[in-house]
Amino acid sequence: MKILIEREPLMASIQNVMKAISSKTTIPILSGIKFEANEQEVKLTGSNSDITIESVISREEDGIVNIHEIIPGQIVVQAKFLPEIIRKLPDNQIEIQVDDDMNINIRSGHAEFKLNGQDPEEYPQLPVLQTENSFDIQIDLLKMLIRQTNFAVSTSETRPILTGVHIKLDNNELGLVATDSHRLASRKITIDQVENLSFNNVVIPGKSLSELNKILEDTQDTLQISVTDNQILFRTKHLYFLSRLLDGNYPETSRLIPDQSKTVMKVNSKDLIQSIDRASLLAKDNRNNIVKLVTQGQQNIQITSHSPEIGQVEELLQTISIEGEEIKISFNAKYMIDALRAIDSEQVLINFTGAMRPFVIRPEEESEQILQLVTPVRTY
Amino acid sequence: MKRKGRIIYHVDMNSFYASVEMAYRPELKGKPVAIAGNPEERRGIVVTSSYEARAKGVKTTMPLWQAYDHYPELIVLKPNFDRYREASRSMFSILSKFTPIVQPVSIDEGYMDVTDYVGNRNPVELAKSIQKRILDELDLPSSIGIAPNKFLAKMASNMKKPLGITVLRKREIKDKLWNLPIGEMYGVGQKTEEKLRKIDIETIGNLAQKDVLTLKNLLGINGERLHQRANGIDDRPVDPDAVNEFKSIGNSTTLPYDMTDQTEINKVFMQLSEKVAARMDRKGVVSENIQIMIRYHDRKTITRSKQLTQFVETTNEIVTIAKQLFQQHWNEEPIRLLGVTAQHLTPKDEMAKQLDLFNYEKDAEKEELYLAVDKIKEKYGKDAFIKPKDHQAELNTSFQKDFLNEYKEK
Repeated sequence: MKILIEREPLMASIQNVMKAISSKTTIPILSGIKFEANEQEVKLTGSNSDITIESVISREEDGIVNIHEIIPGQIVVQAKFLPEIIRKLPDNQIEIQVDDDMNINIRSGHAEFKLNGQDPEEYPQLPVLQTENSFDIQIDLLKMLIRQTNFAVSTSETRPILTGVHIKLDNNELGLVATDSHRLASRKITIDQVENLSFNNVVIPGKSLSELNKILEDTQDTLQISVTDNQILFRTKHLYFLSRLLDGNYPETSRLIPDQSKTVMKVNSKDLIQSIDRASLLAKDNRNNIVKLVTQGQQNIQITSHSPEIGQVEELLQTISIEGEEIKISFNAKYMIDALRAIDSEQVLINFTGAMRPFVIRPEEESEQILQLVTPVRTY
Repeated sequence: MKRKGRIIYHVDMNSFYASVEMAYRPELKGKPVAIAGNPEERRGIVVTSSYEARAKGVKTTMPLWQAYDHYPELIVLKPNFDRYREASRSMFSILSKFTPIVQPVSIDEGYMDVTDYVGNRNPVELAKSIQKRILDELDLPSSIGIAPNKFLAKMASNMKKPLGITVLRKREIKDKLWNLPIGEMYGVGQKTEEKLRKIDIETIGNLAQKDVLTLKNLLGINGERLHQRANGIDDRPVDPDAVNEFKSIGNSTTLPYDMTDQTEINKVFMQLSEKVAARMDRKGVVSENIQIMIRYHDRKTITRSKQLTQFVETTNEIVTIAKQLFQQHWNEEPIRLLGVTAQHLTPKDEMAKQLDLFNYEKDAEKEELYLAVDKIKEKYGKDAFIKPKDHQAELNTSFQKDFLNEYKEK
């Protein structure tokens, strides 16, 4: 195998597949990147037990030449040093040559690295996804969906199923839900041309989605999503991102969302974020990062927090309106800020149903199909 | 069979640090000795002093130079805390041989509840034998107050020093207690003393006879408490757990025979968890780390613990984790002893509970009740609610165990 390739596309590809490579892998060959070259392109693969990423570099694209020379072949290269080597090579063109004994020769300008390769035959065969369950989605939209839900997945393994984002497609509506059992993020969008397609109980590991989100660039290109029983594939022109799905039944979450409320507050979300952020400066020290919100009349809320050793903070915030009963409620400041940031709307509506019941945050414009649920903290 | 009243001892070591030094260096006995930080520099202050030094006017917290002024030949020693801790442990170890219900209050004093252990003996004779044993074995003098409650016992031990034994009966408080100046009352600090003197309370007797309402207005909840104490009323139990305040609460039991039967073992875990949960409830704490102990037939002992993400407090929560740990770590050999310990304890009033989306209803159901409780607490103070308890039943549980282990293990 031999390729003469431009540094930039190679570097980008390596960085993409590196997202799937774990330094702690139990299968030694998976600590490497697989290179496959054919006449038209070079494909790089990185994998761990949860995700597999393939990144394709075309010989030429949109009139720009990426690869100047290809002699087809395959090799697995140790991933640990590769990104640094490629980054620091002196010239913008890089030649990678592999001999029959799997010795790798990387040359650029006057620099030459000789690396030991591994047998590509030993690299696990990747499953070929056979499915009719495919639909297209715009990349920037997908990234937004991930950003608005994925933060709420659980980081604790006590209920493994909650470490993933639940997705559901039904009646042209795609719904994502994530919850760590303390807060819940839900987002729905309408998707065209999927009349015959529906699935439920597809749970993607949160880690997979955050890696995917890092790799995907914010463009309006489309991406294809294919779902099977135990895997999900995200495919763009140059990228294959395959993730395992989580086993088990995702809990029914729709019943968790209160359908009535006793107090409705409309507030400028930036003001609220800033105020809670300030209060949480002291709250970070206490266990649950607790901030207390108390309504005062029909206009104002008081945000307070205290830490026994440090001190306390108090702030009065004017809302747009408060309707219904008075409320005194404590919650984790981080959950509230995460939720408000995810909604990303100028004004939000917060519906409370009591100090010990979850409250719902929605954007003021009801058309937006996003909802955040936060469970309060009970103070003794 | 229930006794009429309790018999509480307050054991107070006499000028403890100085006495420990004298026990180490008998040549110092009978001499004026003071313990002070930085004896060389003359800038230190007197931490404690022997009775001989006190007789010459040396007082605790007095700067050294001033102490030397009073008595130039004063022997000043650097504190040797390891020595004092060691002596303290030995002292409490002796006390715990008489009754498991010992509550250390500080390094050199503690309460004992001997109600159920005094038997047919005369309480004064029993106190004498305790005092004698501490003196014989450790060469340390102590004073013991004997009374029906902690407050009176504390006041009594202070009445005769060194090597005193004082009985203070409730009917004697008019003669023995009420004539003392108010500042000498345990629980009355400088600030409180000033306030009380302003309303012409000069003696403990004045306080006892003052109407509660005035005192409550002046000192809040504490006013009522002091009024009761001055009248010889104090129902605080002697609490051995106070020593390991908020460290851990554990129970263990040696099995009647070596067990391998899972059902039997689960039963034992249930009983142990019940005890731990009851003790946690009594202390008003919750835990976020549960540990189990398994001792096998060959005395090989392992402990395994699990760090939790949520606080636990109920029997069910504790037993579930204990059984889980057991499943993971039992090597299926016969077991001689099992233990369950709740660690990383947090007092409830300092904690908050992040409610869970899937089961918040449990807490939410009681919201109205909590609101009402909060209102009452705001109005009447935190102690407005006390769970009713059977004192006798408490004594039967092994809640003193871990405290005692600390001394027994030595």
